[in-house]
Parts: sequence; structure tokens; C-alpha cells
Amino acid sequence: MNFLYANTYYIAAFGLIFIGLYIVMAKRNLVKVIIGLSFVDSGINLLLISIGYIKGGTAPIFSRPDISPLKMVDPVPQALVLTAIVIGVAVLALALSLVVRLYQEYGTLDIRKIRGLKW
Amino acid sequence: MVNPVLLIAVPLGLAFAIPIFGLISKRLEKYIPVVGMLFNLVLSIYLIPKALAHPIVVSIGGWSPPFCINLFVGPVGVFFSAIIALVGLLVSIYALDYIKEGDTGKYHMLFLLLLAGAQGVVLTGDIFNLFVFYEILCISSYALVGFLRDRDGLEAAIKYLVQGSIGTGLVLTGIAFIYGLYGTLNMADIARHINSIKPAANFITLALIITGLGVEAAIFPMNAWLPDAHSSAPSSISAILSGIAIEVGVYAMARVIFTIFGATDILGFIALIGIITLLIGEMSALKQNNIKRMLAYSSTGQIGLIVFAFAIATSYGIEGGLFQILNHSLSKALLFLAAGYMIYRTGSMEISSLEGMGKKMPFTSLGFTIGAFSLVGLPPFAGFASKFLIVKAALIKGGGLYTCLIVLALFGTVIEGAYFFRVVQVLYFKGKGGTLARQEAPFAALLPFLVLVLLIVFIGVYPGPVEHVLNSAASEFIHRIAYIQGVLR
Amino acid sequence: MRKIIALILLAMLLWGISKPISNIPFGMNKINVAKHYITKDISETGAANVVTSVVVLYRGFDTLGEVTILFIAAIGLASILYLPKKRVPDNPPVEDSSLILRTGCRFLFPLILLFGTYIFVHGHLTPGGGFQGGAIIASGFALMSLSCKERILSTVRLGVVESLAGLTFVTVGLIGLATGGYFLLNFLPKGTLNMLFSAGIIPVIYVAIGFKVGSELAGIIGNLMERTQ
Repeated sequence: MNFLYANTYYIAAFGLIFIGLYIVMAKRNLVKVIIGLSFVDSGINLLLISIGYIKGGTAPIFSRPDISPLKMVDPVPQALVLTAIVIGVAVLALALSLVVRLYQEYGTLDIRKIRGLKW
Repeated sequence: MVNPVLLIAVPLGLAFAIPIFGLISKRLEKYIPVVGMLFNLVLSIYLIPKALAHPIVVSIGGWSPPFCINLFVGPVGVFFSAIIALVGLLVSIYALDYIKEGDTGKYHMLFLLLLAGAQGVVLTGDIFNLFVFYEILCISSYALVGFLRDRDGLEAAIKYLVQGSIGTGLVLTGIAFIYGLYGTLNMADIARHINSIKPAANFITLALIITGLGVEAAIFPMNAWLPDAHSSAPSSISAILSGIAIEVGVYAMARVIFTIFGATDILGFIALIGIITLLIGEMSALKQNNIKRMLAYSSTGQIGLIVFAFAIATSYGIEGGLFQILNHSLSKALLFLAAGYMIYRTGSMEISSLEGMGKKMPFTSLGFTIGAFSLVGLPPFAGFASKFLIVKAALIKGGGLYTCLIVLALFGTVIEGAYFFRVVQVLYFKGKGGTLARQEAPFAALLPFLVLVLLIVFIGVYPGPVEHVLNSAASEFIHRIAYIQGVLR
Repeated sequence: MRKIIALILLAMLLWGISKPISNIPFGMNKINVAKHYITKDISETGAANVVTSVVVLYRGFDTLGEVTILFIAAIGLASILYLPKKRVPDNPPVEDSSLILRTGCRFLFPLILLFGTYIFVHGHLTPGGGFQGGAIIASGFALMSLSCKERILSTVRLGVVESLAGLTFVTVGLIGLATGGYFLLNFLPKGTLNMLFSAGIIPVIYVAIGFKVGSELAGIIGNLMERTQ
């Protein structure tokens, strides 16, 4: 029980990543697969941020003159996550445009029916 | 001394400026990639002697190395940069006449950004920066594969996108673990502290990153996207994907394995995966009737051979792998560009419809034939020197595993010879029929063919200068300590 | 069958991931590089928000790459949804929105733009920055497109704004290269802490990124609404 309480963020992050991977591998509707990709991105971003936490730390902004620099959380994972969120949004936009055109061409979103290219 | 950052910054700036040039005149847009890649080629050839003498470390922003992003321009970086610039220049000249429909301005922007991303991957010295430029390369290629908007292209693009995204997700998870374990993202800094963490943790992180990068490099369990994507894309994009994108994926894997982790004990397993990829690629290519799918499976096979050569890990082995990368880039680009115009003239991708092309498009068919012979490894061409080096390296390394694997690799070469000779036979020795008149491809396509053929023959006859550069490149991968000391004085 | 294989692969992945993660205890980060950034931030850059100085100055090359990726997504989306001129879809007639909706949206739109602009201009002083401000501006445009029928998004003009903003970023980097010898060198004065005009090139780059992201996301929404039925 103590283990669950101490590592809540890690468990949540890996839970999101595994749910996302399961959706991508097991579901048949193309929009559900894209939503699964979005789950994987969210999970990875949560993992990155929670690696940067320091117990008792505060936000890394010098807003008051008496904040000690040694009590701040790590700013580098926050910068990495900014980049990773934008990359996730970009891939999602491109994927949805492909899904819109595929629906116009094939009339269905079932990945077992979108199989023009054989061996 | 010109700053190597311009190799990445100038193509990015020109790509952002293309819509503004498009406001002035729509016809200017297709010449901008040619200008950008010509600048890159001149700069990277100028940097070759300087990088061979002493690797150049450039810091971005003026701070000193582990606290900033740095570029490491050594022999490996400048070699790859020159190949990317050369193949990019030739394909952009080819595309002046080949791309006519669809939103052509956006094609040229995406093309230039793909090449800028590739330049960024090979020159950087920071692992998160490698991930960002690797994503630039991947996302441009997803958009370009679906550029023609036909049923095949869209299906191939969505499959490529889903698999590629899962791959880059795994790479990002590996990078998160690296930051948690080491506290830094600079490649030399991680390499310096590599032994301070338990080997089990290192091993899983390395496995995640190699699996993620292996999706783009198209090694065995993760190459399901490649035949669809390379055969449904426009031919100039197939040439760039086969000639540049998958080799840059292999470079990224080699950089992570050799320089950052220094993991020499998993190399036997990697050699095995390489040979399995080679055999699957070659045997699948034999059964194909669609010429672009056949060339795509052949790319898979060649990547397997390159990965096997890197896994030998001696100086000859890595040199052979790098030489095979050069040979594959030039030959596969030539093959796809030639096939592009032949398909355009006959309107079909079946091999049987190419009957008699030897008489109707003589220069194009000659280009295709020389590319095929060089890829198989016949003597006066570049492929012979590279395959000879790989065989020599495997035999010198000895041991039961490598000798068995090199025999299987030679068997794969025989199969490769079989399917390429079948196509050459159809081109020249068959075909009474055919209602097409004799009409050659336009000049904008013949110029790249001529340059590639001359280069393949020249490198095959005088491999000396190339081997001198590759010798220094191989020692950069093998001697990690020199890399670390070069960056963090 | 696929579900069973998926579950087995995920179980193997879970077992594998437990090895490295047990070496990273939660809440005890070893701040190697970050200690330098936090302690030397005010003296080297003059920005109050340490995350901003990491994003723009210490790791500015990653930000350039990220801006490029969003650009690629916008033009990729436009090229895949491209329709040749003669086949523009005529949208089925939409019923008019009510008076309350139209007036409310016209009232809110300038306030949303102002809020977004405030966030990206003050990026070096408060949490926020170019990407966050740009996303808020784009949501204002989305509100207007969805609720009022007038199309105020012209995708050609948005494209030009996007290109100019991207060129500004690369040009600032090249000016740094020309004056100091390093790409993206901080060549403007640092100023005093917590003032608006401080921290060197950070406000300039964040204004450029704010315009770029706002126009890009608005362009994506405009393309999706114009080119599909």
C-alpha cells in the first residue's frame, strides 16, 4: 500500500502508456487507434514530468526575492515536455487529415477492410 | 572557418521562405530546394578535410558543452552530410519536371524540411536534439508518402504513421529513463558516466531506444510498413526514403550503441537480426511482379546487410558498413529515379509491361542496369568494393557465428542477382510488341542519371579516397574515449 | 487472438520497465545539469522564469525543431486535403446561430486575443510563453468559425504570417551567428530582473513563436472546415 502511495505518478503514467498501446494493437476502428496514440503521448509526458520532481520543491520562477534556488524542481523535463506535447499535436493533426481522406475514398473506417495493398 | 550550423539553418530558413517566394512567382518555388542543397553540398565538401584533421565541436548559443546543445562534426557526420546533400540535390533536379499535380509548392517545402531534418540527425551531439530532428524527418516522410492522395498512398501513409509514432514513443520513453538515471542529455556526458548505473537498467533502456529507432531503420520485426510506403509514394520520394531516411535510422542506432552505451555484448544478437532481415527481404523480392515493391523489399535486404556489417564492430566491418551505405544510396536512388520515368511512360508498375524499354528509353534503361549491377556487387562498380570489405571483415573476425552468417549473406546476394537479372532480361532481350514510340526522359531527369552513373563507376575503379575518409569514420565509432575527450575537454 | 498477443507483449514490457524505474526513486532527482541552470540563470540570462530560459536560450535548437514540426504538420494537412480549384465543395446550408450566441462570441473574441497576447508577451516573467499564448489565440479563431457564419480566416494570409514568423526566428539566430560567432547567441542586453524589456532575445523569439503557433493552429482549423464536407 505504501508502494502505491509513494509512486502514484509513475503508476498513472505507465497505466496510460499501456492502455494506449493496447488500444493501438487490439482495436479495429481507425479513429480508436488514433485516440490510442494520443493516450501513449499523454502517458509519456506525465512520466517525463514526474521524473523531474523534487520533494518539497516549488515552481522554478524567481517571482519573489526570497526564493532559494535550491528548493526548486527540475526545469529541464518541463522544457522537454513542452516540445513533446507540440510533437504529439502535430502527429495527431496529420493522422486525422489522413483519416478524413481515407473515409472519403473507402467509405469505412474498419482497418480490416482498408487493405488494398497485398503481399 | 564557416560554422557548420549553416548546414541545418540554411535549408530550414529557405523552407520557411518558400511561400513568400511563391507570392512573387509560382514558378520560382521549385528551384529553391536545388539552391539549398547546392549550398549544403559545397559546404560539406569544404568541411571534409577540416573534420578529418580534427573533429569540430560547435556549441549553439555560446555556452560550454554539457550545459548546451552541441554539434559534433567528425568524419562520420561530414560523410553522411555529403551523401544527404548529393542525393538531395540530384533528386530535386529530377523533381523539377516530375512533380506536376497536387499542391506542388508544399511538396518542395516538405522535401527541403526532410533533408534539413536528416542533416540535423547526423550532426548533433545531444540525444533529445537527435529525437527532435528524427521526428522532423519522420513527419515529413509521412506527409510525402500520402502526397498523391490515391487509395494506396493514403493507406500506406496511415500505416507508416501509426507504426512510426509507436516507435518514437518508445524512443522518448528511453530518453526519459536516461534523464532520470544520469541527469544529463549530452551524449558525451552520458557516455562518461555509463558505468555508474546497474547493467540491467542500462540494458532495458538501450533495448527500448533500439526498438524505437529500428522502426525507421526497418530491421526485422518492424519493417511491415516499408514495402507499402516505398511503393506507393511518388518515385522521387521513394528514392529519398530508400536512399537517405533508412540509412539515417541505421546511423542513429549505431551512434546510440557504439558511442553512448558502448555495448559490445549484444552485437552477436544484432548480427543475427541483420541476416534474418537480409534473407526475408531478398526472398520476398523474388516473388514480386510490381517493380517498385521489388525495389522496396531489396532495400530491406540491403539494410540487413548493413546492420550485419556494423555488428562485426572491427575497423574493417564498420568501414564496410559505411561503404555499403554509400553504394546503396547512390544505386537505389538511380534505380527508383529510372523506374519512375519508365512507369510514367507505360502507365503500369508491372515488370512484364517494361518489355523492350531498352530500345525505347535507352539512357534510362542503361541507368537502371548499372544501378542493378552495382547493388548486386559486380566488379567494376562501387558495390564490389563494399561487399568485398564486408566479407573480408567477417572472415577475419572468425568464430562460428560470423562465418555461418556470411555464408547466408552470400546466398542472399545470389538471390538478389537472380531477380535483378530477370528485370534486365525483360528490359533488353524481350519485347516485340509495344506501341510506344522511342522517346527519352526529359533533360532534368537525364542529368541525375549521368552524375550517378559516373560516380558509381568512379568509386568502383578508385575506391582510395573514399576508403581514407571511411577509415577515420570507423575509428570514430570504435574509440569512444576520443569522442568524449573531444567534446568535454 | 490479437488481444491475447497484445496482452502478452504488454506484460513483457511491464516486467522490462520495472528494472530502470526502480533506480529512479520518485521525488529524488539528481540535478546534475539543472543545478547549473537554476543557480546561474539570473546572472547569465536575466529571466525570472527558469523554464523559459532553458527552452529559448540553453536548448533553443530544440525549440527551433519543434516550431518546424508544427509547420510540417500544417502544410502536410493542407496538401493532403488539397482540392483542385474546380471541385470546391459547396457546404450544405447551415441554420443561423441565435442572436445571443453571435453577440456573445463577438464580445468574447477580442478578450481572448488579448489574454493570449498577454501570456506570450510575459513569457519570461510568468508561467506561459509562445506556445501556450498561440494556442489560446487559435481557440479564439475557432470560436468565431464555429459560432458565427462569417469566415474571417483567410488561409493564404495566415500562411504568409506563419512563414514570416518562422523566418524571424531563423534570422535572429543568424544575427547571433554574425555578431558573436554562435548561432542563437543572446545579443540583446539583459536588463533588470522582472521588467518587461529584459532577458535579451527571449521576448523577441516568444512574440514570433506566439504569432506562428496562433496562425498555424487557426490555419489547420480553417483547412479542416473549408476542404471537407
